[in-house]
Amino acid sequence: MANKVRLGFVPLVDCAIPVVARAMGFAQQENIDLELVREMSWAAIRDKLSFGMFEAAHLLAGIPIAARLGLGGLPVQNIVVPMALGRGGNAITVSTQLYQRMLEADPNAMLGPRGRSARALKKVIDEDKAEGRPILSLATVFPFSSHNYELRYWMAAAGIDPDMDVNIGVIAPPRMFDSLRNGWVDGYCVGEPWNQRAVFHGDGVIVALKDDIWSRSPEKVLGLREDWAQSNPELVSALVRALVRAAEWADQPGSRVELAHILSEEANVGAPFEVLKASLSGKPVLRPGEPPIDLPDRHVFYRYTATFPWLSQGRWIGEQMKRWRQIPQDTDLKAVIPDVFRPDLYRTAVAGLDVLVPQDDWRVEGAADAPDRSLVGMDQFLDDTIFKAEF
Amino acid sequence: MVKLEEFNILVIDENPDRAAIVERGLVESGYTRVARIGTSHNLVERIQALAPDIIIIDLENPDRDTLEQMFQVSRAIARPIAMFVDQSDASMIHEAVSAGVSAYVVDGLRQDRIRPIVEMAISRFNVFDQLRRERDEAQAKLNERKLIERAKGILMKEKGLSEEDSYALLRKNAMKQNRKIYEIAQSVITAFQLEF
Repeated sequence: MANKVRLGFVPLVDCAIPVVARAMGFAQQENIDLELVREMSWAAIRDKLSFGMFEAAHLLAGIPIAARLGLGGLPVQNIVVPMALGRGGNAITVSTQLYQRMLEADPNAMLGPRGRSARALKKVIDEDKAEGRPILSLATVFPFSSHNYELRYWMAAAGIDPDMDVNIGVIAPPRMFDSLRNGWVDGYCVGEPWNQRAVFHGDGVIVALKDDIWSRSPEKVLGLREDWAQSNPELVSALVRALVRAAEWADQPGSRVELAHILSEEANVGAPFEVLKASLSGKPVLRPGEPPIDLPDRHVFYRYTATFPWLSQGRWIGEQMKRWRQIPQDTDLKAVIPDVFRPDLYRTAVAGLDVLVPQDDWRVEGAADAPDRSLVGMDQFLDDTIFKAEF
Repeated sequence: MVKLEEFNILVIDENPDRAAIVERGLVESGYTRVARIGTSHNLVERIQALAPDIIIIDLENPDRDTLEQMFQVSRAIARPIAMFVDQSDASMIHEAVSAGVSAYVVDGLRQDRIRPIVEMAISRFNVFDQLRRERDEAQAKLNERKLIERAKGILMKEKGLSEEDSYALLRKNAMKQNRKIYEIAQSVITAFQLEF
């Protein structure tokens, strides 16, 4: 009999790996009956995983760390991360009105690089301050999301104080697009297809992509309850193998059109095929009515160790939590992160398979001349930071 | 009604019927200060204005992600809130999650004073589920009857049978094929639709 695994996911392009694992039979090959449950909120997924309604979940990388630290009003929840679910495809989208204002305030900054486009936002904010206008409202998807940290990183590098100069709210991904459209927010950082969709509808302009901020910034992960993972080691390995195989399939350029079809189904992401295809084929449109740009690494599911749960990536998230005062400055991340991010589980699962695994569990992030560049791909912070946190 | 707890309770629900059922249950138990709102884009501001001590919200509501932000100590929020999880009682957590209830409370409220409110919400969510199931079943029954009526009409018109004989024919075939009468009725309708 097949082993049943219930996995909760949020409708986003990066739910592709579990969706493909089921749709293309990779889960079945591992004798897993993978039941996928679509959820509309991160809080709901976290709770259903924590309280036993799911065995596995598509999670923001920050959620298991926050859960381990007892953040978010919940008592400590022990969730482990045996793998990452690709690099995601976040972007910062602003309303067409705000885009026009940024363009007028600092046309030079808007010429590029995109990672530095917040310099124009800074000028808009300064104008508003001088005129006594209300501050802008921006949204991310969760307090402990890479989106929150990316948006803040982008703004802070341009001298904006994300806590004082703008109002950062939280809106669940499926509601982002409507919020921008109805003028409730002036911009947001969210995963695809919710940026591309705003551009296709003429309501928003993408001003920075995840790659422009930090191409290797961590995104979604597979979350499992620690006690469940401990009691089912073989099933954990089988699940990781199925998902790694699915990631490998989803990463092939030749799979992307079919993937866009699969994800467009209502039970999966439920967004229009054309919107998904533009993003998945690495040809996103940044401004309404303009031709797409060429960005083959817009969505990375497998290559560049995109499924490996790097300790240094978990650490980066933890350091952002410190930076924005979500956790005490003396939190011992060096001890906490290896309890949550579990490269050992990944290594065990793919042992003997033709899967490229790095030699170490952590690396120096952001060094353009790192010796393992061919393994991990582009790796640059918008401000050329080098992030080194040893384990 | 002896107990008159001075809690401000806020019910957030996209489903106005369920919200009404929860509200009535709470008011009948003596909690008189109950407000309810549907989905709202300025949720944080509205919550601030209402200043609830307790928020009851369905577990799957996307607005929960917005609420989670209120856990953060923030200049915007005067009263920090936390999710209500009574660690002394694991079965209650399970009951709440399976009923689809989550609750948020302001800091410092005693668990034993909140618990009856959460329990009431859980039981009301379950009542609502039951009512919805019954309604769905009634709707399904009604649809079955409609199918049978239509099939009878077709048989009367096309085969010149009386109403009674039409029904008897459907019934006989259902018994023979070990299927429900409405399923046979559906087949009759489909068959005649195909012909035209």
